[in-house]
Amino acid sequence: MKKELLIATSLAITVVILAYIATLGGGLGPLFSDLRPLAEVFLGTTLNPEKRFFTAMSPEGVTAIVWDYRGLDTLFETAVFYLAIIGAVAIYRDISEKVGFKGGGLGLSKIVKVVTKLLIPINIAIAISIALHGHLTPGGGFQAGAAMAVVPMILIVVFSRYFLLGLKLSKSLALAFRSIGLAGIALTVFLPIIMALLSGFNAYIMQNQVKANAPVGFPAYVGNVLISGSLILYNVFEFLAVTFGFSILFLLLSIEEDLVKEQMRGEVGEH
Amino acid sequence: MEVTYLLLAIAMLFALIATYLAIVERNLVKAVVLSAVQSVAFTLALYLLRAPDIVLVYLPITVGIYPAAILFLIKKTEEVEEL
Repeated sequence: MKKELLIATSLAITVVILAYIATLGGGLGPLFSDLRPLAEVFLGTTLNPEKRFFTAMSPEGVTAIVWDYRGLDTLFETAVFYLAIIGAVAIYRDISEKVGFKGGGLGLSKIVKVVTKLLIPINIAIAISIALHGHLTPGGGFQAGAAMAVVPMILIVVFSRYFLLGLKLSKSLALAFRSIGLAGIALTVFLPIIMALLSGFNAYIMQNQVKANAPVGFPAYVGNVLISGSLILYNVFEFLAVTFGFSILFLLLSIEEDLVKEQMRGEVGEH
Repeated sequence: MEVTYLLLAIAMLFALIATYLAIVERNLVKAVVLSAVQSVAFTLALYLLRAPDIVLVYLPITVGIYPAAILFLIKKTEEVEEL
């Protein structure tokens, strides 16, 4: 017991010291002493209601750059990830993850299972908070999705993959959620154009705030809450797409190799 | 400020050692674990370099998802690399 207490205390002290050194302790020195002109442009416009044609209305410069200033790059990055997962799904196209379904009794020891059950809700809460605060604090859709994708992975390792199937998280359901995420991103991309066409104005693809000659934009505030227009939508939909994209990958990769080979030879399966 | 540079140097030194050990390791499972150790050192360095966005994505991908995916693949093939 003493040993565990010592480890936990020293871990906590290390985290506190690290946090202090990186922030209040001075870190790398003054951050804003020598700015490059490009950084000045981004920092000067990312949350600046006075420059309403240039601002992204988000205090989080990185998310603003990723989904607004260079939104199309991120869109195509998402497309690359989409195609990678589709490749995995295509390779496993005739292989059902439901074959060989077994009940409980699998996985690691009871201690590991209980600890995992305690940690999973924390992990889910952190992932959702990274997604929903992505336009305010460091983080965003991909970060949150990556944090969330650890959950199905841990469940597969600790409880076995049949536990996920018991929770009804199958390949098709994950694909459906992933498609909802991607459709949401596509809708957010085209929404300003659709709105502009209906009202007879001009608009840009992936437009966030109003631009010169394009007066249709997403609202920066809902009530008094800063949502940064389209940024929160992109973060939430990307979160869905990435979470379930990785979930599909783990569901497929965790199928036992002999079951995969049996199904490829056509001995078992749903033909 | 000097402490930050010192910690950065230590983190990158750990990363270098872990990378070397991962490359020369014949057992692929151990190599994946060493690669994850290298990633932890990189995470520390990125945090000290004030890149929290990268830390948030780097940690789950390189310590959780990537080793898990590689371990699944190792299970499907062979554990020890043969010359």
